[in-house]
Amino acid sequence: MTLWGALAGGLVGTVLLSTTVRLAQEIGVTRMDIPLLLGTAFTENRSRANLIGYGVHFVNGLVFSLVYAGVFEATGRAGWLFGAGLGLVHGLFAGGVLVNVLLPALHPRMGTSWTDASATPLLEPPGFLLLNYGRHTVLVTLLGHVAYGTIVGAFAAGL
Amino acid sequence: MMLRVREADGYAPIRDYAIVGDGRTAALIGLDGSVDWLCLPDFDSPSVLGRLLDAGKGGRLELTPVEPFQVTRRYRSGSNVLETTFETTSGSARVSDAMTLLGTRLGPARELVRRVEGLSGTVRVRVVFEPRFDYGRRAARIAGGGSRFVASHRADAVSLSVWGAARTEVENGRVVGELVVAAGETAALSIGAAHAEPLVFSGRDEALDRLEETDRFWREWSARGTYEGPWQKAVVRSALTLKLLVYAPSGAIVAAPTSSLPEEIGGTRNWDYRYAWVRDACWTTAALLRLGYHDEVDAFFWWLMHTTRLTQPRLGVLYRVNGDPNVSEVTLDQLSGYRASKPVRIGNDARNQLQLDVYGSLLHAVWLYVDAGHAVSRDTAKEAAKIADWVVENWQRADAGIWETRSPPTHYTQSKAMCWVALDRACALADRGAIPDRSARWRTAANEIRSFVEERAFDEELGYVRAPALRESDASLLTLALLDWSSGADPRLITTVDGVRRQLARGPLVDRYRGQDGLEGDEGAFLTCSFWLVDALARTGRHGEAAELMDELVSLANDVGLYSEELDPASGAFLGNFPQALSHLALVNAAVSLAASESRP
Repeated sequence: MTLWGALAGGLVGTVLLSTTVRLAQEIGVTRMDIPLLLGTAFTENRSRANLIGYGVHFVNGLVFSLVYAGVFEATGRAGWLFGAGLGLVHGLFAGGVLVNVLLPALHPRMGTSWTDASATPLLEPPGFLLLNYGRHTVLVTLLGHVAYGTIVGAFAAGL
Repeated sequence: MMLRVREADGYAPIRDYAIVGDGRTAALIGLDGSVDWLCLPDFDSPSVLGRLLDAGKGGRLELTPVEPFQVTRRYRSGSNVLETTFETTSGSARVSDAMTLLGTRLGPARELVRRVEGLSGTVRVRVVFEPRFDYGRRAARIAGGGSRFVASHRADAVSLSVWGAARTEVENGRVVGELVVAAGETAALSIGAAHAEPLVFSGRDEALDRLEETDRFWREWSARGTYEGPWQKAVVRSALTLKLLVYAPSGAIVAAPTSSLPEEIGGTRNWDYRYAWVRDACWTTAALLRLGYHDEVDAFFWWLMHTTRLTQPRLGVLYRVNGDPNVSEVTLDQLSGYRASKPVRIGNDARNQLQLDVYGSLLHAVWLYVDAGHAVSRDTAKEAAKIADWVVENWQRADAGIWETRSPPTHYTQSKAMCWVALDRACALADRGAIPDRSARWRTAANEIRSFVEERAFDEELGYVRAPALRESDASLLTLALLDWSSGADPRLITTVDGVRRQLARGPLVDRYRGQDGLEGDEGAFLTCSFWLVDALARTGRHGEAAELMDELVSLANDVGLYSEELDPASGAFLGNFPQALSHLALVNAAVSLAASESRP
């Protein structure tokens, strides 16, 4: 198991995750737009938000690969299957808590379930398992994260 | 001063209701002080108080004098805090109602505060709290006693706090009690709600403070509006009502906060309007811009362009306020319906229709947004251009039209004209450099559409007709005057406006159409069309007639300045869902057009 392997897996996995979600957007399966959601936390300019958002997402991808590496190290196990399992948990956490609860709480331009008439947020909240962005969003998110985990696990184990 | 008794069947006239809300949901309160409609936690959630749709088992929160009473009512100036004053032989009392706004502070996730203030003598007020979860399907399990009660069902819970009650007790699945208020005394109660989280309780003083803070917010918000002109009071009330219909977490605006209020008493034309229609996009954008509410325009526009992404370039007809396009229609057979108007429907199958007018509405909204100085992103610009391309490919299809008829698809003239609007605005946007330029293609198709309408859908007597195959007037064609189909001096446009007035007006009120629509039964006059007629008259150079009609229409609002979807010209009764965003949008736009035509030399 190597740390550099996990980081490289994090990079490649994030590329795959981003591409999967973008592809799903293009074919009309979801309105989930990761760079827009992340980038608009910093700016209202959508073009700039996309740029910043991709950057933040890649940093997140690398940080999470370090978390995966920590789990591999602690359990003494690494591999594509274990990584896929972690990816599934990661996907559920992302849809159920990270993007559903924590992002709206931190995001200055995103609505929450407690946003009332005194505010005018620009982005609708994602909802549980991101279902507000289309019913298939949960599948896309889980698929992307399982793929991410698989790659990080495989790379960390030296393929 | 009105003396109003609820009818023997337990229903109040729709006209008798006023609305309070918090930007997530809204409550309808009758003249007798009864809250008869409240969905929790959001507009499109199941009702907990639903007496509006079933007087027996829908659920209610009564706060009504025990003795016979007379009542006057008003909103506080520039505010959405409602004040109802009851006068009885033994005294008078004022009830102030508001759904409070908390921002990010800890408090009930949703809260309705009702303050009862003794003005003279002593007034005994009956309290009945009868929550019925899930559209009346579930009787509540009520716990507690003294001054606080909690009703719960699965992940939903509602609390009732009563301060100053002579007695309160649980009786047959409801809380009953009585408040006795003497001059100078204040009693209060509050309904708090939670969904999938613990209830947050509050004390009397906190609740009453929040009511006043909420009032301050509304006053400040209405003072931010920039409109100054004729019918100011009606315009400001409309703005405040529209703000209540905005779902704050997303920026979407619901067509109305109610479902299945009938277009004919006892009839079947009962629809669920607790969703956002793309058809309303251009009128919403125009009204908010004209009123100076740019933050609300931004939020609405971002919601509109983000929500429609799932289906672009094809657009859905309506969306849930959280953006979900799945709005399947089902009937709720357990509810008897407003005055036996069945079925009660939730969801709306108009979502499956092809309505070509929505493309014109959306691209006109983009144009208004850009023309007002707002920038659109590269993604939005590309999406707008793709929508225009879709119109080029599809304008020749028959559709259900703006009125969502359930008869076979037809080549509705207004739908074709709105396709022209879509392409014309796309060309204008391209000229500005705001969207990718494929204007040669768009302009060619726009010219073909114009030829189609001019050659096949015009009648010398009626003006533009409902469809080439339906040689009758259609009030939706008034929108041609509103959306710059041609100049206001165009004789064909003037003939159309006059034709609609001659064929469809009943006094100041205008029907949508008189022909078939694939549904049984009749309906009232459509208030939006009446305001469109004002707008069209103003834009075709008949300022005096327009102003006169506007005066009449403004006088038809209920006692607190609200409008439903339709009005029965014979009885003056309100019909259809209430209060209706489109009616208030049309009022605002008509007033601004009139103000503009007045100032024109």
